[in-house]
Amino acid sequence: MKPASSTAPVDAFLEESAATASAVSIRGLDYFFGQGELRKQVLYDINLTLPKGQIVIMTGPSGSGKTTLLTLIGALRSIHEGSLQVLGQELRGLGNSKLVEVRRNIGFIFQAHNLFESLTASQNVEMAVELVGNFKNKRQQAAAMLGQLGLGERVSYKPASLSGGQKQRVAIARALVNEPQLILADEPTAALDKKSGRDVVTIMQHLAKNEGRTILMVTHDNRILDVADRIINLVDGRLESDETLSHFQETHDPKKLDGQMFIL
Amino acid sequence: MFFKRTPLALLNLIHDRRKFLTSMAGVGFAVVLMFLFTGFMNALFDSQLQLLERLNGEIVMVDRLKTNMFVPRAFARRRLYQARSFEGVEAAFPIYISDANWKNPETRRTRPVRVLAFNLADPVLLLPEVTTHLSQLQLPDTALIDLRAREEVGPKQAGVVSELAKRQLRIVGTFSLGTDFASGNGNLIMSDQNFLRFFANRGPNEDERSFATADVGLIKVKPGTDVNRLVQTLQTRLPSDVLILPKDGPNGFVERERTYWQENTTIGFVFTLLTAMGFVVGIILVYQILYTDVADHWSEYATLKAMGYNNLFLLSVVLQEAVILSVLGFIPGFLVSALIYNAAAGTTGLLFKMTAGRIIGLYVATFFMCLISGAIAVRKVQATDPAEVFGL
Repeated sequence: MKPASSTAPVDAFLEESAATASAVSIRGLDYFFGQGELRKQVLYDINLTLPKGQIVIMTGPSGSGKTTLLTLIGALRSIHEGSLQVLGQELRGLGNSKLVEVRRNIGFIFQAHNLFESLTASQNVEMAVELVGNFKNKRQQAAAMLGQLGLGERVSYKPASLSGGQKQRVAIARALVNEPQLILADEPTAALDKKSGRDVVTIMQHLAKNEGRTILMVTHDNRILDVADRIINLVDGRLESDETLSHFQETHDPKKLDGQMFIL
Repeated sequence: MFFKRTPLALLNLIHDRRKFLTSMAGVGFAVVLMFLFTGFMNALFDSQLQLLERLNGEIVMVDRLKTNMFVPRAFARRRLYQARSFEGVEAAFPIYISDANWKNPETRRTRPVRVLAFNLADPVLLLPEVTTHLSQLQLPDTALIDLRAREEVGPKQAGVVSELAKRQLRIVGTFSLGTDFASGNGNLIMSDQNFLRFFANRGPNEDERSFATADVGLIKVKPGTDVNRLVQTLQTRLPSDVLILPKDGPNGFVERERTYWQENTTIGFVFTLLTAMGFVVGIILVYQILYTDVADHWSEYATLKAMGYNNLFLLSVVLQEAVILSVLGFIPGFLVSALIYNAAAGTTGLLFKMTAGRIIGLYVATFFMCLISGAIAVRKVQATDPAEVFGL
């Protein structure tokens, strides 16, 4: 099968300036799980460039390799074949400690908030500030970030006394407090109601637009697709489609039912 | 920099109050086990030395074949008179010791007790009760009884009249010493004159005692004398049927007695084994606590790893938890142990000593107990794969 990315208009345009202007640049990436006889390929010849300041939503059925791709970009796994550049750094062949370094420049947001129940909202965020060695202003920095996310009143609350949406916002504050250039999010709104989910993505959209952050988000949540600049679809480990939001809406609009929809 | 960090280890430990209390109780329990077993071991050894430590002299003379206080071997008393002629010797006191059956005046049953006797003019024992009862002890057939003797000897008070070695004896007062292996059920103190009344002729089956022999000789030196040098001189110049040792010090008589009981009984082995069991129980308990913490916070720790914390940091969190547990578990464990020591000393008459050295020693053991558990539990954290947090 031919990789779909070569047909994508956005990608072709960005090709030449990829290495410098892009946050993520992937070329010919294959990925396997297991060893020897049990070796199973999960990603096939992925080519993808994420320019700075773009919000990209990745969709696809479960088992299609979305999470694997996300963990590879997040330097949580090491790649064997192809090329993967994150924030100008080639990840292939990097040692474990170097990968840890790379991760410090990436903000992770998970489906679960993964906050320490024993720490207050502020302390949870401070754990991230301490990573960059900024001990003096950690309190102010954490409080300012939480304030930006509308949690100024809840700085010293423990997660147990926060609502689901508030907890997820604390997790986002933790991911963003060090001003990472790349943010990776895995189903950030899955555990939230409609309004909290909308709040969360609005914050993220704000960041991307005003501060030039790149956001790659895996989601099945149709309610938030409108924030995307670009939607990529991964099926069986291959990039199936890569289109702008308007194109996506056109082809997926239920009002424009075409025959294509019923061919399975 | 370390103190400015968020105290994650401490906060994780105390977050759930009930779990924290059980954790502390767990570590405390292991601490109590270790205190109890080392306590009994030390009590058995220390009790052997109670009498020796109260002897008012710097040098001890015994028969060469008296390998420990349990062996009833006497030496010629004239060796003490000979010793008196040496430079630096202030006085030399003979002490007479013998075992005899004491009849409990209430139950009429006999129990062996140890009788200590000396010339009342000699300040042999550092017990204030002895000096206050000197005039009464000069009367025939009188003695003082040990308040810490076992219950089986009957009432322990002045005025009790009963039989010692089938001869009537009147108790004129009490003192406090304590029991050990050699003393049987307790101690009696009497004058050397009374000692002869009871033990000079106890019939054909018993040794005849006289002032010609003494069981333990005590030498008091003049102030400013080099004790070790004097011991050396006495040992070379006096006949070799007596053994002369300084009372204290690494080669002293007290230490020799302790070494004897350590090397010739299984006390040390048995209680060391039990203490080791307490130690292992502690390792398992603390491991359970730390493992549960790691397992409960699996995804949080993995998130920390994803954020860019390395294994070293997570390792330090778990080890900090281990150290905090060792401190916070030790304190209640120590307090409970102190209570148990008191109670046990009351019922057995053995000497339970809680010295600073022993407390520090057991804390160090507790510290390593927690550290070992931490080191095992850490392997679980290191195996944490941050990639697994996605899509869980």
